[in-house]
Amino acid sequence: MTKIKRPIVWKLILSIGLPLLVIYSTILFLNFKWNKSSAIEQMKDYLVELTSHNASTLNTDFTKIAQYPIGISKMLEVMAEPDEKEIFNLLIDLVKSDSLINSMAIAFEPYSFAKKKRFAPYVYREEGRILTTDLTKDYDYCSADWYSIPMLLKKPYWSEPYYSRTEDNTLQVTFSVPIYKNNKFLGIASANISLEKLRETMENIHIMGGYIFMISQYGTYIYHPNEKDIMRETIFSKAVTYNFNQMRIFGREMIKGKKSVEPFNDPIKGIKQWIIYTPIVSCNWTLAAVIPEREILDVVYSRIIKQMGVMILGYLVIMLTVVWVAFNITNPIRNLMKKTERLATGDLDVQMVNIRGEDEIHELAMVFNKMVIDLKHYINDLTNATKARESVESELRIARHIQESLIPRIFPPFPHRKEFSLFARNIPAKEVAGDFYDFFFLDEDNLALIIADVSGKGVSASLFMAVTKTLIKAKANYVDSPETIMSQVNYDLCQENDAAMFVTTFMAVLNVKTGSFTYCNAGHNNPYLIKANGEIMQLENTEGMALGIIDDCNYTSNKITLKKNDMLYLYTDGVNEAMDIDGNEFSYAKMEEFLKKLGESTPRETIEITMNAVQGFTKNAEQSDDITIMALRVLMLKDNIK
Amino acid sequence: MKKKIFIIMILVLSAAIHSQDSQELQSVKFGLHWFPQAQFAGFIMAYEKGFYEAAGLDVQLEFFDGSGSPLNKLVDGEVDFCTAWLSQTIALKSEGAEIVNLCQILQKSSLILVAKKDSGIEKPEDMNGKRISLWSGDFSIQPTAFFSKYSIEYEEVPQSYNIQAFLADAWDVASAMYYNEYYKIILSGVNTDELNAFFFSDYDLNFPEDGIYCTEATINQKSELCREFCAASLKGWEYAFNNKKETLTIVMNYCDKHKMQTNLAAQSWMLQVIEESMKYQTGENASFWGILAEHDYNQVGEILLEQGLIKSIPPYQDFYKGRQK
Repeated sequence: MTKIKRPIVWKLILSIGLPLLVIYSTILFLNFKWNKSSAIEQMKDYLVELTSHNASTLNTDFTKIAQYPIGISKMLEVMAEPDEKEIFNLLIDLVKSDSLINSMAIAFEPYSFAKKKRFAPYVYREEGRILTTDLTKDYDYCSADWYSIPMLLKKPYWSEPYYSRTEDNTLQVTFSVPIYKNNKFLGIASANISLEKLRETMENIHIMGGYIFMISQYGTYIYHPNEKDIMRETIFSKAVTYNFNQMRIFGREMIKGKKSVEPFNDPIKGIKQWIIYTPIVSCNWTLAAVIPEREILDVVYSRIIKQMGVMILGYLVIMLTVVWVAFNITNPIRNLMKKTERLATGDLDVQMVNIRGEDEIHELAMVFNKMVIDLKHYINDLTNATKARESVESELRIARHIQESLIPRIFPPFPHRKEFSLFARNIPAKEVAGDFYDFFFLDEDNLALIIADVSGKGVSASLFMAVTKTLIKAKANYVDSPETIMSQVNYDLCQENDAAMFVTTFMAVLNVKTGSFTYCNAGHNNPYLIKANGEIMQLENTEGMALGIIDDCNYTSNKITLKKNDMLYLYTDGVNEAMDIDGNEFSYAKMEEFLKKLGESTPRETIEITMNAVQGFTKNAEQSDDITIMALRVLMLKDNIK
Repeated sequence: MKKKIFIIMILVLSAAIHSQDSQELQSVKFGLHWFPQAQFAGFIMAYEKGFYEAAGLDVQLEFFDGSGSPLNKLVDGEVDFCTAWLSQTIALKSEGAEIVNLCQILQKSSLILVAKKDSGIEKPEDMNGKRISLWSGDFSIQPTAFFSKYSIEYEEVPQSYNIQAFLADAWDVASAMYYNEYYKIILSGVNTDELNAFFFSDYDLNFPEDGIYCTEATINQKSELCREFCAASLKGWEYAFNNKKETLTIVMNYCDKHKMQTNLAAQSWMLQVIEESMKYQTGENASFWGILAEHDYNQVGEILLEQGLIKSIPPYQDFYKGRQK
């Protein structure tokens, strides 16, 4: 079977599968893009919300605690000379009132309180109890940041976080407010807040895959999941250690109190991360969250993978359907193809194609089946017709054989006769010819010559010719004048000649001894007489028309005398009317041209020359009519011998 | 009986060997004038890499712990060697303390004055009328000389051990050690180009700082030991500068052990600045790599004299007993 280079299955797979693949990929890609950006937006919103919420909670706490030292500063501004006990009681009441406060102090500028060099009442919590002391015992607070900075700045100050000296080394932050009375600096009121609670709060915030951290106003880590970094590293020192300048840029934005959500490439972990930072306004700290983009995208990826799974499944189903449909279409076609190929090899016994359904393929199969049936009928008819034709052809062959046997074909016909030389030839245009010639001796000296051309061709013509020939020969047994024979034969032929056939006939009787030549021409072409000196002439016509037309037609004869070496040239119109491919006739003129040049040619040579001339003229054109020629040359006359 | 004698012989012999061991490794106490940090990286590395031991010394590093200064401990005989500032020791020597300089470590002043550019302080004169924080004691000698040189009137405020008041803009100008506080400012988010730093070395007020000291008695009695100790210390420094990564790891371990609130970035900077200072050389005859040149010594002495901190400059030959060029 023929190998198909581009099967329909592949065409369908390519034309449906490829575009579908492109569409699916595009959908997946766009889905991923949209999902990704929406996931990032959601994550941003969530983290901004989370950090903002916590920052605002802390801010509220800090703002609230800040109110206590501010309250004290305002109170001392208006209080008239409070004593030590009143001051301590004030502090004890405040520390008791708010569990967020770890300790409070009022540190007086030297000699500002009751002429004491230094006085710094301090109230603090220790193991649930509230204790009091004077900070003067411990150190010269005047150089401490929490004292000197608000004093110099003349405004409240949130200290950097620090590890407490007095208590159990917890991380603390101090809010200090300068106290003025009558525009004179009196000292500092301060509240300390433990950051332990803050740390617990921070530890309880969990961000998937990420972490949060908090930095002070100068970038120091106050909270970081890596505990070692707290109070030791700043965001800027980390930036140096990891040679990560973007971190320094983030840090500078943070300590300026900026708020932002930004992606960045983390050189430490080598991944893309997002940072969200938001300020705690009161103390100018920053709460920040860092989350790997991968964490956000993992959700998107898993969603996309699920989608991809569904799409691949769908794609497979579609492609299987396509293949199934394609085979449903191509299988019957292949089946038809196989059958057609068998049909082409001539096998008409192929089974009928059976295809269900009512589609085009079914129609095609129906048409194919009808074609097979029609073809069978046609082949049958053709076989019969061929048989019939063959039988006709064989009958025609037989007819031709019979006809051929009617015409004398042995030359020289009378070998013992030296008086003349005779040659004739008949070349039929169709299988069976309508021309004929004949010659026979009527007696010892008189030779009858006949040449005739039956109207029409084929079997009927040949039958008519056979009848004519037989009649002439039969009549010649009793009569020896040609005009009588013609007359009688004409009469006989006219009887029951329903087919209205006729035959032009030239008959002559030559006395081979005397050269006397009597002829009767019944509508035939006049033969040529080629004299010994090379002169040529057509014989004069005689009365009478072609045989078989009118039964009482009158025929006459002429009589001439032939001399030694004279040649008679008898022919049918197949010679002078021979046509070339353009329909031009050979003509008498051309005949006469070569007849003049014959010289001493024998009859056989003359006929050969004639045939060559005719063929040279007609070339490849089909022979249109029978060609019959008979030539006789007188060799010696008895009278002359005498 | 014979057995007893044999045992006694073995005991005596082993004791002799043991005493020979302790003779080889001579116990030395070395007081360092601050908490452990990269400022002492060379000494730490000399100890850690066994350079002291190789020199036959069993050195005990005694970092400052908030109690008395190592220099006082040296005078009191509590330590054999100590580190101290040149200005500090010249003053002490002029008061009659029997101490000598064996090796000058830091050649260039790390003490600087620093101001934020936005305060408008671009040159010394701009400090007029500004609030300037100063550390007490020797840390105020160069600033005082600087202010008098440029006739600067200023408001002095005491400076604590951190720079938060500076960051909070409570001070206009702060004292800072270039290897320490200056970088803390940077690590608090201020950029270098936002600061103006005044190096005293740029104003003919260069004070070589850290040096190794011992008593006159020690140098007189154990000059070889002193020489070995200094050589091993300098070898430690050389190693520290050639192997910074390893050095910083070890230094950070020391810092952790002493609960120092520092970080790798800060210590790395410190080591770098210390290296620059040790290799600092102002001229052909200037001090360099462990050597205290007479010119530098006299320059410091004269400033001390000017400020009335000493009555006379102790002779250079009595003060410096270290290696000469």
